[in-house]
Amino acid sequence: MYKKIGTVVLSVFLAVALAACGNSSNNAGNEATNKPAESDAATAPASNEKKTKIVYWTGDRHDMDYIKEVIQSFNDTNDSNIEVEMVVKTDDYNQAIDLAFASGQAPDLLRVKENTIQAYVTKGYLAPIDDLMTEKMKQEFPLIQDFNQIGGKVYSLPNYGSTLRLVYNKELFAKAGIASPPKSLAEMVDAAKKITEVGKADGAYGFALNFKSPDSAFGRSARVIAEVSGIGGFGYDFKTARFDFTGFKDIIQAYKQMYDDGSTLPGMEALDIDPLRAQFAEGKIGMYISFSSEPGVYKNQFPAKIEWAAAPVPSIDGTIKGVSSFVGGQWLAINSSSKNQEAAWKFMEYMYADEILKTYHEKGFGISMVPSISAVASKPDINGIEGFLPTENDGTWPLNPTVTVEGIKSNDAFFKYMLGEGNLDEIIKDLNTRYNAALDKAIASGEVKAEPKPDFDPMKLGAK
Amino acid sequence: MNKVRQIGFSYAFLFPSFILTLVLGIYPLGWAIRYMFYDYKGYGEAKFTGFYNFQRLLRDTQYWESVVNTFVYAGGKLIITIPLCLALAVILNQKLKGRNFLRAIYFMPTIISSAVMAVVFFIIFNSYNGILNQYLMKFNIISERIDWLGPKHAMMTTILIAVWGAVGNYMLLFLAGLQNIPNDVYESASLDGANKRQQFWYLTIPMLGPVLQIVIMLAIINSLKGYETIMVLTEGGPIGKTEVMYLYVYKLFFPTPSSGTVVDQQFGYGSAVGFTTAVIVGIITLLYHMLSKRLNKMQ
Repeated sequence: MYKKIGTVVLSVFLAVALAACGNSSNNAGNEATNKPAESDAATAPASNEKKTKIVYWTGDRHDMDYIKEVIQSFNDTNDSNIEVEMVVKTDDYNQAIDLAFASGQAPDLLRVKENTIQAYVTKGYLAPIDDLMTEKMKQEFPLIQDFNQIGGKVYSLPNYGSTLRLVYNKELFAKAGIASPPKSLAEMVDAAKKITEVGKADGAYGFALNFKSPDSAFGRSARVIAEVSGIGGFGYDFKTARFDFTGFKDIIQAYKQMYDDGSTLPGMEALDIDPLRAQFAEGKIGMYISFSSEPGVYKNQFPAKIEWAAAPVPSIDGTIKGVSSFVGGQWLAINSSSKNQEAAWKFMEYMYADEILKTYHEKGFGISMVPSISAVASKPDINGIEGFLPTENDGTWPLNPTVTVEGIKSNDAFFKYMLGEGNLDEIIKDLNTRYNAALDKAIASGEVKAEPKPDFDPMKLGAK
Repeated sequence: MNKVRQIGFSYAFLFPSFILTLVLGIYPLGWAIRYMFYDYKGYGEAKFTGFYNFQRLLRDTQYWESVVNTFVYAGGKLIITIPLCLALAVILNQKLKGRNFLRAIYFMPTIISSAVMAVVFFIIFNSYNGILNQYLMKFNIISERIDWLGPKHAMMTTILIAVWGAVGNYMLLFLAGLQNIPNDVYESASLDGANKRQQFWYLTIPMLGPVLQIVIMLAIINSLKGYETIMVLTEGGPIGKTEVMYLYVYKLFFPTPSSGTVVDQQFGYGSAVGFTTAVIVGIITLLYHMLSKRLNKMQ
């Protein structure tokens, strides 16, 4: 009998112990998800049970300190007893978002980008904000089809956008006797060669891109060279509603020429964007093409030891036939399954206040895409931003259709050619065939609508 | 009654791991097996496409190139790792001064995160300011920088890094095996006049047989499955030269986002490729198992 009682007591004790372990491990799991990893950063408010806690996830780190301050101020001053915790996910942000939604641990608010918002809406992650927006907000913030307004509903609002420019080392340009940044591909190839000739002895080369990921390298460079030459940056021709990579031929040839000339940084094939920036800051790279986040990088992340500036990217033949992408149109969005949507909106409304967006622009974290802000804000206080400020030749290209292509993707195929594999004409022919087959399939299944726009004018996509 | 209680206890102890296997092993496998017959992006409607994903797989040259790369990677890693581990284990099994310290040093890579390892190796191997090139040039061994992570050498570099990461683990298993061989065997062999080399070939190796078999099997499976270091170091590049099977699968599920194009996840096709890859790894493991069984019988 005693033995039986003993067994029961022991079982109960073990069950309680297991439950306790379970709870603690669950808590640990939550903490691991909500709290940032070693490389992440967070603004963790003081604990107070009465407060409504909301969590905001972002992949942006260039504005981390400023946003931390803004959030701290919100936590200290808001009268709705809301506490916001910011989590900066530096790597694999998209995967972390998917996993968080799949496991029911998604944040109340999240940073969305121009290439994720469409999928997040389709996945049902985001709550529309049409009914929450005030009249003032409706007038102030531009709505951009496919980039913040999807299927007739608004899911996010713009804060800043990114322009694309040629970033160049003024000292190396002067040393090589180059008077101004290149305006055509031929000038770019020539400049890269000249810089390498004068710089190689000190380990400096004319050109570099982050070819560890050809998608990222071409997506920030060949894309915008094509755009200013009047060609869709991802091979899609909006006039005919077909894919046609023929226009990329000269661009890829020019890249190959620079590679063959030895004008590119050795080891560029395995280079990520941050190691590239570190080398540019050290004066080892003559020029590269990138987004307007670079001034912030050279102020905070890799303080530049050289004089540098940004200029419009070259076009194929030196004439401008299209606008250069002003990428953006969205910033924060609310989780559709959040239990604190009201509090999340209050915080979102606070973040979109004129003063915060104006300071964001003026501090140089990003170029405002909100006309009422850019009209009154002073020039951003950050070295190098001048060259990135939007001009009449910056605008938003429409979203190209997403197709699932079988076989090698365009950027990988182009990079293979750059490194000496294959024939470019045949590669382009093959890409056109496969991309259009994928497009036809997507149209047939109803996933994509692609209608020719014979009047499409790449010069008339001006800044919003 | 005692037997019933014993069986009850056995099941009770098996229960937690059964649940874990069910949730973390069987369920995802069932999920993948289902979706490999669908066109599914991870959201929206999943469209049944029958065997289309497998037909696509047959003509997907990038995948088959990754299969070849995996074999080169795994083969290279095995050929270097196994003899090296065995040699290290034999040396560190002898009465050496500081052998425990050396054992700890060799084992250390096993406990370091492979992602961190890859970042450190990038600093060593990168072409433009890598430490390796700098030293080789300083000592006049090379005159021009070698592009260790370029198309020509990237696979060799990743193999060397993989060897570095694996040595400690297998060395430890060999050490355990060596310590299980009784000393009397060696004593009687030396009385019979066997020298050290003969003792190694005719005593140590055969008596290490079972451990050797397990180590080789583990090494084969790990090499065929490994992709983490490569993902951080080269992302499978340049131009797919270090793309291995599971990295290819990973990219289908979680493609690298690129500004301007919407992220295109392919869960359906990814499941088909993942399943096929698992079958390939399974077949190779099975073949090895059968071969080692046959060798055992022959002995």
